[in-house]
Amino acid sequence: MKDAQAHQDEELLGKAYDGQLIRQLLRYVAPYRLWVVASLLLLFLTTGMQLLGPYITKVAIDTYIAARDLHGLNVAVVAYLITVLVGFVSQYAQSYTMQYTGQRAMHDLRTQLFTHLQRQDLAFFDKNPVGRLMTRVINDIETLNELFGSGVIALLGDLLTLVGVAVAMLALDWRLALISFVTFPFMLRATTAYRKRARDTYRDSRRILARMNAYLQESISGMATVQTFGQEARHFNRFKEINTQHRDALLKSIQYNAVFFPSIELFSAISVGLVLWAGGVMILDERVLPGVVVAFVQYVHRLFTPIRDLAEKYNILQAAMASSERVFKLLDVQESLVEPATPTHPVRLRGEIEFKDVWLSYTAGEPVLREISFRVAPGEKVALVGATGAGKTSIISALCRFYDVERGSIRIDGIDVREWDKRTLRQQLGLVLQDVFLFSGDIARNISLGDPAVAEERIAEAARRVHAHDFIERLPEGFRAVVEERGSTLSQGERQLLSFARALAFDRPILILDEATSSVDTATELLIQDALKTLLLGRTALIIAHRLSTIQFVDRIIVLHKGRIREEGTHQELLAHGGIYSRLYELQYQPLA
Amino acid sequence: MTDVGGLAIPWLTKDALDTFLAGPERAAALWKYPALIVLAAGVQVIFRYFWRTHLFGFSRHIEWDFRNAIVAHLQRLPLRYFTHTKTGDLMSRLTNDMVSFREMLGMGVMAVIDAAFTIATSLLLMVVIDPWLTLWSLLPLPSITILVLLIGNRIFDRYRDVQRHLSTLSTFVQENLAGIRVVQAYVQEENQQRHFDDLSREYQALNLDLVKHWGYVTPVMTVLSGLAATIVLWLGGRKVAMGTMSLGELVGFYGYLGMLTWPMLAIGYVINLYQRGSAALVRLLEILDTPVAAGYQVPGTARVSKVCGEIELRNLSFRYTPDAPLTLQGITLTIPAGTWCGIVGETGSGKTTLVSLLPRLYEPPPGTIFIDGIELCELPLQTLKQAIGFVSQDIFLFSETIRDNILFGNGGATSEDLETAADLAQLTSSIQEFTHQFDTLLGERGVRLSGGQKQRTALARAIVKNPPILILDDAFSSVDIETEERILEQLKGFMRGRTAILISHRISTVMEADQIVYLKDGRIVERGSHEELLALRGYYYRLYRRQLLTRELDALSDNGGARA
Ligand SMILES: Nc1ncnc2c1ncn2[C@@H]1O[C@H](COP(=O)(O)OP(=O)(O)O)[C@@H](O)[C@H]1O
Ligand SMILES: Nc1ncnc2c1ncn2[C@@H]1O[C@H](COP(=O)(O)OP(=O)(O)O)[C@@H](O)[C@H]1O
Ligand SMILES: [Mg+2]
Ligand SMILES: [Mg+2]
Repeated sequence: MKDAQAHQDEELLGKAYDGQLIRQLLRYVAPYRLWVVASLLLLFLTTGMQLLGPYITKVAIDTYIAARDLHGLNVAVVAYLITVLVGFVSQYAQSYTMQYTGQRAMHDLRTQLFTHLQRQDLAFFDKNPVGRLMTRVINDIETLNELFGSGVIALLGDLLTLVGVAVAMLALDWRLALISFVTFPFMLRATTAYRKRARDTYRDSRRILARMNAYLQESISGMATVQTFGQEARHFNRFKEINTQHRDALLKSIQYNAVFFPSIELFSAISVGLVLWAGGVMILDERVLPGVVVAFVQYVHRLFTPIRDLAEKYNILQAAMASSERVFKLLDVQESLVEPATPTHPVRLRGEIEFKDVWLSYTAGEPVLREISFRVAPGEKVALVGATGAGKTSIISALCRFYDVERGSIRIDGIDVREWDKRTLRQQLGLVLQDVFLFSGDIARNISLGDPAVAEERIAEAARRVHAHDFIERLPEGFRAVVEERGSTLSQGERQLLSFARALAFDRPILILDEATSSVDTATELLIQDALKTLLLGRTALIIAHRLSTIQFVDRIIVLHKGRIREEGTHQELLAHGGIYSRLYELQYQPLA
Repeated sequence: MTDVGGLAIPWLTKDALDTFLAGPERAAALWKYPALIVLAAGVQVIFRYFWRTHLFGFSRHIEWDFRNAIVAHLQRLPLRYFTHTKTGDLMSRLTNDMVSFREMLGMGVMAVIDAAFTIATSLLLMVVIDPWLTLWSLLPLPSITILVLLIGNRIFDRYRDVQRHLSTLSTFVQENLAGIRVVQAYVQEENQQRHFDDLSREYQALNLDLVKHWGYVTPVMTVLSGLAATIVLWLGGRKVAMGTMSLGELVGFYGYLGMLTWPMLAIGYVINLYQRGSAALVRLLEILDTPVAAGYQVPGTARVSKVCGEIELRNLSFRYTPDAPLTLQGITLTIPAGTWCGIVGETGSGKTTLVSLLPRLYEPPPGTIFIDGIELCELPLQTLKQAIGFVSQDIFLFSETIRDNILFGNGGATSEDLETAADLAQLTSSIQEFTHQFDTLLGERGVRLSGGQKQRTALARAIVKNPPILILDDAFSSVDIETEERILEQLKGFMRGRTAILISHRISTVMEADQIVYLKDGRIVERGSHEELLALRGYYYRLYRRQLLTRELDALSDNGGARA
């Protein structure tokens, strides 16, 4: 099911044409065109030196050795040595300039892709597994890099040689030349057939690689669960399936290569055979000199050397095309949350929040919020209460504009969130997410997120406010103590405290707490609440909690049920009303009394 | 790129030309030689087809095997390994390093065999023409060894650095994408981009540094074959000039020497492939060399037909790393089969640590934990894991359907079991609201569920295993009180005869347990039933007061009239 969907998503990408892809790739090389030109010149120099060598040899043999001119021989040897050394320098410089261009261009592409991903909305990330996106940013770009590493620029040299040799052949004897070209149309057919198949297998392999990465990503992060449930074997078997698919796709490409590359040799042999036969006939008829046929046989060899080279590189090119196709398609994905044409950047925020008849659905036709309307006055503290899945977190996601509402509007200080500059909007909100996420690094960095705007003292201050400093100080390195990926060496409550401290350290006018202390013990929770009372003075706050003790200081409570607001009022009013809230309240305290 | 067919073609061509020019059977040769050439080429194609499919196929099979071996190994590594190893790093090793290793095997081996064959045949022919000249022309060859010795290690180190940095890059991207909600909520996109830009720039610099060294190899090989040619030209030229060698011989010798150019380049190519492949191999072997968790090393041998569920901890002390302070100290606790034990305590007091020792996620010291009187390490791992239903505090759901997730630990459960479990976990009404019901895809880590729905899915996943021991680690923290109450009510029936450990911060969750322990700084400071603990007037009592206090305050303000 999952695979089926992944498959579908990727297939939707469609297929692009080579020309288009190459043009797109060249755009990234364009800024370094001077380097490319230099590399090309060096390539010509290298090739020139490599061609000059045999020429000097020929001269040495024909002129000096034949004439027993030892002095001339010495000169030729020295000249030869010079071509070798110049060739060395230019070859080295050529490979460096080429790699330099490639590395720079790939860096640009990689960072552009990463930047592009940062701007995607959450609906995009809901659909695209991390592992798949990583494949694009890391592995696919690496494949593209191969293109430069393998010196695809040398392809240009090959093409030039090809044309040159062909022209020389035509000039020498056009009849024999045409005969040796007879295999060309067939070779083209073979190449086209190969390309289509090879591309498909490379496409498959890229897709399966993405799936493999997604699976690895997931299974490594979920290893504790796998081991707790003793599902190691089954889990491994799932991986093995994907691995096998990956292997089979590539084995297929090996099959195609194994037919295609040697077949070029066959074409070459057929051409030689044809030239020999036709040349033989013509020699018999004395329509051509034997020397011409000898030269032709050599030319045919020369002709096929670059073709063979092209064929080998074609393979890398196909792999690179399959990768660039994916990368460019990802770059083509548009942000679905439209940025306003003239975004608002208010100077001072009052902190008023207003929901007007808001409907939200993650999947079309399945609204999770319906007709939500409420207003939070500046400086007011409002709690959202309700069963799990009632839509509390969704209200917050909509407020932060992680998702756009389907109907209705959300206004902050009277301005629709869609009119706000998205970043400015979020800079007003201090958010403690329900799903705590810590980055690997150290404690301080997890609170400040490495944002230079967060001063060192503020980090410690925020930690103190949420009483995280108790456990931080117990750690040997304190605020510099290592935090592993997702904070896996901290207890869940400690992680939550850090994520809470983060919201405070950023000092935002509106504070949003989504079950911010659900895993924290009661004593600490009460201490935090005391701190919050002073902290929240003059700030607007939206607070979600299940332990009603956590929200007793708020001004107003909104009770959600199945995506609708069912009750709204102060604690007293709601208790008196005798609805959902008073039932929750009784349930919480009755057993204790 | 030479083999028998390949060597035959130049020969045939030469013969053909000789025959056409002077041979007596010129007309007959007209057909013979072209046909022979195409035939030879045909043989060559077939030969190469098998050659390529086998060699490359072989490298793919090894890659497949190796990757399987590593992933299978990963499944059995201790959890500690994963807390200190980055996901992105492992992924990078399993893809990027694996590719380098495979290329060393496929292309590398092919190039070596090809080169060896060509070198052997050309050398043979050269020796036949002039052994001394051959020896002289080979003079530059030992410098290959020097080259390898001189820069081989440097290339190796640089490849390793590049691969390592690729891991860093990969880790950064992985964390960034996994934490994209935080990044976006805190408007850290630019910050992250800057960081990524730095990392990518550094990667580029490392690569270019590599190219600086690696770039020598091919030109040096070209120079070496050039030098050989120079020597031959000079010495051979003198020989011909002095009449000790014929011109034809020199030309022939030259031709064979020319055939050595390609294999020389191939050697350069292989040097690079080899350095990169072995750098990658080292990184891959690092994973395989990590010892698997103790439970997999020595399988338990006790024969247990059915676990009853008595849990006994004897003076259990535990630390995560040898130099870390004790997380648990001298825990002694017996939970009789079929009873409930509640655990309360402050954040970080060791509650989660305590229960994660039971399924041996971390290895407890010997002689400290017993189930049904059998020491943990004596129990076969599968028996142990099947006996425990675990709802962890940090829920992990897979990006599959709800059904797959619930049945995760028990693929053999019927759809009735599935529904019962969902019912018990109060999940049915939520599921009914989804269009695809049990087939709803949850997305990565279950993003499409609310926090409480995730916890309840995890609960159903534990229940469907029908385990004699159920461990709920703060399993209701995101569940509203009403739902929790209903779940606990229903669980009472389900849990009859089963052992349960309930960790919670809410007194209401644990108060009905048969015994409650209060953990503080890794020690049990109080134990007993709810009433006993209240009578003790200690930590538990204070916790109770705190949770009650809020109510009393409310009561006060109720009496005191309207609040400000
Ligand atoms: N990213 C998402 N994609 C699809 N459905 C979602 C997503 N997030 C939440 N939902 C669904 O929306 C409903 C409300 O969820 P949520 O707002 O998280 O509830 P809660 O009140 O517990 O915070 C739930 O039924 C949940 O399954
Ligand atoms: N994998 C780990 N490695 C090292 N230390 C850990 C690890 N997991 C938890 N800890 C530390 O052990 C202590 C107890 O954690 P835990 O058992 O999770 O507490 P809690 O009682 O909140 O469940 C905490 O201080 C925590 O930082
Ligand atoms: Mg929620
Ligand atoms: Mg815990």
